[in-house]
Amino acid sequence: MVGGFFQQSSVYMPLLAIVTAFVLGGVVIWVTSGSLDTVFLAYEGLLRGALFKNRGLSESLVATIPYIMLSLGIAVGFKAGLFNIGVEGQFYIGAVAAAWMGASLQGVPAIIHLPLTVLAGAIGGAIWAAIPGFLKARTGAHEVITTIMMNYIAFRLTEFLISGPLRDPNAAAVQTPRIAPGAELWSLYAVPERLQDPLNALLVALIVAGVGFVMARWALPRLARRQRDEGRAALLNSALAQAGVGVVAGLLAFAALPALTRLWWPFTDQYDRLHTGLFVALAASVGVWWLLWKTTIGFELRTVGANPSAARYAGMSITRNIMLGMSISGALAGMAGMMEVLGVSICRCLPLFFSSGYGFDAIAISLLARNDPLGILLSSFLFGAMRNGADLMELTSGVSKYIISLLQALLLLFVAAPPIVRWLYRLRAPGGREESATVTRGWGGQA
Amino acid sequence: MKTATIGPAGSRVSFRSQGWITVVVVVAGLLGAWVLLNAVIGGRCDQTCVVGSLAQALRLATPIAFAAFCGVMCERAGVVDIGIEGKMLMSAMTCYAINLFGFQLLRDSMGAEAAGSFSRILAVCLGAGSALLLALLHAVVSIRFKVDQIISGTVINILAIGVTGFMYRAFLAENLPAGPGTFPIISIPVLADLPIVGPILFQQKPLTYVMLLLAFLVQYVLFFTPWGLRTRAVGEHPRAADTLGINVFRVRYVNVLAGGLIAGLGGAWFTLEAVDVFNPLMTNGLGFIGLAAMIFGKWTPFGALAGALIFGLGSSVTSTVSIFRPDIPSQIPQMLPYILTIIVLTGVVGRAIPPAADGQPYEK
Repeated sequence: MVGGFFQQSSVYMPLLAIVTAFVLGGVVIWVTSGSLDTVFLAYEGLLRGALFKNRGLSESLVATIPYIMLSLGIAVGFKAGLFNIGVEGQFYIGAVAAAWMGASLQGVPAIIHLPLTVLAGAIGGAIWAAIPGFLKARTGAHEVITTIMMNYIAFRLTEFLISGPLRDPNAAAVQTPRIAPGAELWSLYAVPERLQDPLNALLVALIVAGVGFVMARWALPRLARRQRDEGRAALLNSALAQAGVGVVAGLLAFAALPALTRLWWPFTDQYDRLHTGLFVALAASVGVWWLLWKTTIGFELRTVGANPSAARYAGMSITRNIMLGMSISGALAGMAGMMEVLGVSICRCLPLFFSSGYGFDAIAISLLARNDPLGILLSSFLFGAMRNGADLMELTSGVSKYIISLLQALLLLFVAAPPIVRWLYRLRAPGGREESATVTRGWGGQA
Repeated sequence: MKTATIGPAGSRVSFRSQGWITVVVVVAGLLGAWVLLNAVIGGRCDQTCVVGSLAQALRLATPIAFAAFCGVMCERAGVVDIGIEGKMLMSAMTCYAINLFGFQLLRDSMGAEAAGSFSRILAVCLGAGSALLLALLHAVVSIRFKVDQIISGTVINILAIGVTGFMYRAFLAENLPAGPGTFPIISIPVLADLPIVGPILFQQKPLTYVMLLLAFLVQYVLFFTPWGLRTRAVGEHPRAADTLGINVFRVRYVNVLAGGLIAGLGGAWFTLEAVDVFNPLMTNGLGFIGLAAMIFGKWTPFGALAGALIFGLGSSVTSTVSIFRPDIPSQIPQMLPYILTIIVLTGVVGRAIPPAADGQPYEK
């Protein structure tokens, strides 16, 4: 069983790529530092910083969250035949939109303000991505260049907005005003305290009810199929039963969660920055999987991505699907930016020159994961852990923490070009054609 | 899948006959920019200011033109290269490091002046060499292993960001010795004294002259030599070219590598002509703007040069405006080249027809 799992090329190839990248990175450290011990010292520090130091794991997860969102965005684009290199810019615009929405309303309870701010971030990113999508669909301008140009425009635009119209006049530093408490994304530490407010508890209950409803829609028909009694089966299949499960779950959550989390809550460290965005990211990856493989929309997106002429012949609108694919992709990226402002930034605002660098790493992540949501979760954690562990590595071994970006670039090279890894390890290509991305289609002004 | 076919006669633009159109566009652009400039700053730009701003336009067009020539070389042979940005960044970093440390090594033995010019020339060579290595990687990955060319180019870009970022933080960020600085301005005798034209065209730094010469050289190679004919054949219809005995892989390899050298010269501009520092990400998307200039120029070197000049002009005009009008937030004019690039890509200015086999790996 395990052997069979590791014999799949989609499993062993990324693993080989990771190993090769780390070995080569080790060689670079060895050459630049001049001693072999430094290599082990560095990797030991990296591992300790990523997982075992105080708050190491939770800080790794904090960095994992935007990686998940951004690489999901890129994966959706890839599946629709679009190479969205512009997630970094969409991240910026999502962050600005969220910072603006979060600060412009005051005294509004979280149950209204938080969804509005989340939506603002998502819409900001979606619009920023829809522009290149529209241009590609209408004029054939290739999204690889237009999205990169949109990145640079987004950097300048956010710089302008933060230092001009959106600047906080009362702050010494150039930054946007602090967002209202109602728009903050709760840190996990603060959840029990937040739930004491009935309105906040209601917000959580609504979310739990929604999740319960979706799960019931999935689970109940499967239960019904096993039932011999037709009446029971019909009852399980009815919308009433599904809604009932949702309502009961919501009511239970509303009644029990505030008290329960008071009694016992695993996150007791008040400096722990891990926030509820983790659940958003997990939900997003399930959502993307469901959207792509279980819905008509996803089927159309994948068909347009795999073979535009066949899709057109089948009556699917290329324009609509390109716009849709880019918008979903951008919305996910925008939400990543939104979460950085609402949940992570210390000032709960958007400072000038906040630079993330998440966007380019996310390209490597989605290629490493081959656009598979589960793979994205794992690869994002790998990248988040490396990013977080790098500081301790630099401290203990003296190796510059930017060796990480070199490692990630090597990793990207090996996952993007499997033949290199195969050639290195003398592996044979798997039978049948391997799935490989094609994004050069329609280059240079021809749709 | 798009199949490689040559369209019916007449559907493909005859590239050489389009030369005068680009000339007209450039001249109109220059005049329009001058009028616009004076409108914005209230007629305060006198002749020296206009001449200065045009000279600056040529200076700023240099890296874009190098990038565009690299794109022309690659894409005429059917290889899409979006890794130009990465190659330029790599070359910029290498040039800076070689210039700085080469100077330290040589200064005692040859004297400051000679060491300076020697280390600068050495830096250009090795910088172009570093870009050549990345080009070789792109060639092997996309021609031999047939990985999607845009993915391969993106890998080159990210690899370059990673390598230069690491090298910068490890060696080039602090405790730097004093370097020999950038290339000096070289005035061409006699011609430099001409009114107006002299200061614009003949009082520049050496890489700008190299760029102008290269425009003629690439144009000559592509359209007047057997090699150019083979290159274009491979870019339009590789199967037919193969049938005629042209080695498609060899043509593509050589062109991608030559493009790499050219992009390396473009990278050298950043640290040997523009400024005497290296910053991570200092190429600022100019490699991609170069691709837009190439598309604007319909995949010809002269056209690409015209496109690069328009971008250079745009940047130089905005910087002149921001000198006279400090009240305009600097970020707004800074966006203009990128917006212009998008407009060019949409085909509003000049319909673009790429080489037919552009971006397709050749399966023998």
